[in-house]
Amino acid sequence: MTATPAMPVPTRPGRTARVPLAAAGRLLRLELRRNVMLWLLPIVAALFWLVTYRPAMAYPPLWNVRAMTMQTSASAVFVPTVVGAAAWLGSREARHGMTDLLSGVSRPRWVRQLATWAATTCWALVAYLGCVAALYAVTAQQGAWGGPLWWPAAVGAASLPAFSALGFAAGALRPSRFTAPLVAVAAFLALELTAQFIQGDDSPWQVSPLVAGPWEIGADHGVATFYRYLPDLPIVQLMFLAGLTAALLGVLGLPAGSGGRWVRRFTAGLTTAGVLAAVTATALAGTGRLDPHGMIAIPALHNPANDRPVPYTPVCGDTPIPVCLHPAYASYLPTLTAALEPVLGELAGLPGAPARIDQAAATYRQESGNGVSISSAGPAMRGTPPTLHLLLPFQLARSATTDELTSELRTNTAREILNSVIGGDRRRTTDAQQAVAAAILKTSTLPPGSPTANAAQRFAALPPATRHAWLTRHVAALRAGQLTLAELP
Amino acid sequence: MNVATTDLTRRFGRNVAVAGVTLDAGPGVFGLLGPNGAGKTSLLRMLATVIPPSSGRIRLLGRDPGVYGQRRQIRRRLGYVPQNLGFYPGFTVVEFVEYFALLKELPAAEVHRAVAVAVERVGLGDKATAKLRTLSGGMLRRVGIAQAIVNEPELLLLDEPTAGLDPAQRVAFRALLRDLGQQATVIVSTHLVEDVGAACTQVALMDQGKIVFHGTPDELVARGAGTTAAGDAPLERGYSAVLAEAGS
Amino acid sequence: MTVVAAGKPPAGSARGGLRLLRLHLSSRRVPAALAAIAACAVVLRIALLWQWDAYGALQLPLILETGCAVAIAVTTASPFGEPERATGRWLPLLRLGTALTLTAAAVGALAVAGIGAHLAGGGLDVLRNLAGLTGIGLLCAAFLGGALAWAAPTAYLVIAIYALYTQWHGPALTTPWIWPARPPHDLGAAVCAGLVFITGLAAIALRGARDAANK
Repeated sequence: MTATPAMPVPTRPGRTARVPLAAAGRLLRLELRRNVMLWLLPIVAALFWLVTYRPAMAYPPLWNVRAMTMQTSASAVFVPTVVGAAAWLGSREARHGMTDLLSGVSRPRWVRQLATWAATTCWALVAYLGCVAALYAVTAQQGAWGGPLWWPAAVGAASLPAFSALGFAAGALRPSRFTAPLVAVAAFLALELTAQFIQGDDSPWQVSPLVAGPWEIGADHGVATFYRYLPDLPIVQLMFLAGLTAALLGVLGLPAGSGGRWVRRFTAGLTTAGVLAAVTATALAGTGRLDPHGMIAIPALHNPANDRPVPYTPVCGDTPIPVCLHPAYASYLPTLTAALEPVLGELAGLPGAPARIDQAAATYRQESGNGVSISSAGPAMRGTPPTLHLLLPFQLARSATTDELTSELRTNTAREILNSVIGGDRRRTTDAQQAVAAAILKTSTLPPGSPTANAAQRFAALPPATRHAWLTRHVAALRAGQLTLAELP
Repeated sequence: MNVATTDLTRRFGRNVAVAGVTLDAGPGVFGLLGPNGAGKTSLLRMLATVIPPSSGRIRLLGRDPGVYGQRRQIRRRLGYVPQNLGFYPGFTVVEFVEYFALLKELPAAEVHRAVAVAVERVGLGDKATAKLRTLSGGMLRRVGIAQAIVNEPELLLLDEPTAGLDPAQRVAFRALLRDLGQQATVIVSTHLVEDVGAACTQVALMDQGKIVFHGTPDELVARGAGTTAAGDAPLERGYSAVLAEAGS
Repeated sequence: MTVVAAGKPPAGSARGGLRLLRLHLSSRRVPAALAAIAACAVVLRIALLWQWDAYGALQLPLILETGCAVAIAVTTASPFGEPERATGRWLPLLRLGTALTLTAAAVGALAVAGIGAHLAGGGLDVLRNLAGLTGIGLLCAAFLGGALAWAAPTAYLVIAIYALYTQWHGPALTTPWIWPARPPHDLGAAVCAGLVFITGLAAIALRGARDAANK
């Protein structure tokens, strides 16, 4: 036994306090240079091109569609990659047998882990923002009306620290060769499961970053053009993701050996605050309702100022009856005018014909489950001079190619315009109205050889000027359902 | 004393790795000898604050490693090369050493110079930008030593540091040890008794978790003199004689 | 221990062979992989108790098939590295047997999990998708190392999920190389998946997973 006197040891005061940020910066730079996420960036870029960019470019240049696509489909690209890379780095110390060596250093383990997580997250964010920049730059170059929507991009960006923290925590707390792959796949599964659980506009699962608006209609052409993009759901999602990030990072600091008393107290507080934020956000998402403009409003966060319509100057086609669209949909105008011009030429100048056709804003209504009904608000024909307000096919949550759109315009939209002048609808139509409609629309839905089909053929064979003159004289009677087939010329 | 342990014990389940070690060490190079499984690595891991003792008392650099704040101060002044040195294969030599300099809380302004000095001291200046995956085993060992000395430690713990080094490197390493021992307490666990003879001022011999000899290398040599203990060199004979006595 | 045993299996001794097999499986963490496969099957079974829309019903098995495939792929990592490579002729057979056995176990577990429930695509789909995904994982292990073998199957999962999505929101991706998006009886898709699986098996049996730098 040897008695050991406690020797005062000279300390080196202020050694670390002077430039802690510079040291943290160097540590981060070092982690950035040697981060596995850097090597995954080409894979991310390729997946982004295939899964997000290419399909987004198939849509017309609409900020709403491009932004919402960026939020939802880019999540699918980034989540498994970021979670896997973060879990891989989280288990790095154990995998490389560095645990003993690193246990003997003075900087708290939590700080060290934070640097690795931050570097992984930085690269993921750089990649994500690069993808956003590419998509938005091309959208702007294509002449999209309005400005870029930042809320969906912000939600997508905020999901990266959260998923990175999830992967990192799993890798650090349970290092094994199975952790990175299984957590990456499980995170992807969890993300997809949240989508399955969404039932209606008041589902708490809408807090998932995969959701940008009512789940069933997805990246809808009709929202956030006539009215603003509501920030309610994005705010809740950001709160949830920030909470999740904080809670998961906090959990890393809870085990003994993560740091001193203050570090562990701080991380316990961070975990608690994170859990509270995430739970609150989920509860808020559960109070959502579908607003008439097609977005999820959260009453506690809703700002009525966001309900005001966005002013715009319509763009109109050079047709006998001008067809005017919201400028965001200007790219549809050539297709629209080409499809409707023959019908509009027949109708122009007839008594009761609209002086102009305007695109209307859609009104959205939640139905049972995830069903959403989309309709036009108010009567179709209104105003002085009379203007026909129409919902166009691309506002009805249906994606369509140009050919499909043309066909839809020729059959449904043209018929709707025609019906507004000659009367009748799909349920109550007189034979005379049917024959005139078939003649003008040049459709062949009538039974061949039937009296109505024969009358339609006869009417269609008239010279346009004769047909127009007859319609000018008889359109009121035709609309009132007072004409018979025999009275058609 | 920079190292002072009293009745230090460490158990892993039922196995007692270190059984009541009392040890004092001041500046100088301290050799820790012993057969496989004697408890040297467990003792060094406790001194490196990697694992806590099951019982007993440790004071390192005048501080109690059981208290977080003091442990952190100790670690700023500590260098440690474990027996199985892990490394990040994608890091370069400089990056690896810099990483440890930053984790040992060297001020950012000093890091660049300290890393360069440490890398030069282990003779890896020409390999500074080489990735660790490209280095030989001996070079990796030297990288491990470089990270341990980058903070100019007051307490340096080396577990089998010369394993994998060629004879010339070992000679250079012993010189480095002697140099470091001028200011710091250097504890070297090794099987190579010639390292002890060449570099150590003090030597302890462990067997079955206990210290069975503590003295100078000359005193260890004296224990073997005139005996029939196995060994080609005087130190080896001393080593064998002490172990034979401890076992009897 | 496996290294020693792998080099010298007692000739003609079934007991020695079994011991070698047991040690090899243990060194590759095969019991843990089997546990992961069982967990995937349990998750699938539980999930199939719910009502899924057509899209979700196709996605769900694919994600869990990927889970099984990555668990199989990461078992290829050897903890021994070069010393093991320098041993006798049994190693390729052991690698081949391990990969085949685990793939069969995974197909069986997922197919059993789908019995009595509506498993989209059925057992044939599970067999094709899992074999193809495992093949990708084995090839990835041969080129990047066993520990990173999960990267390619996970990336492929994203592509396959997107390809399934394009069946509803065209234009559909119909190349047989994205076999999960093809119907279960599609010959081209089955050939592609089989080809990838056989190539992966051959690579892992003959070459083994690339060794990590610090092993």
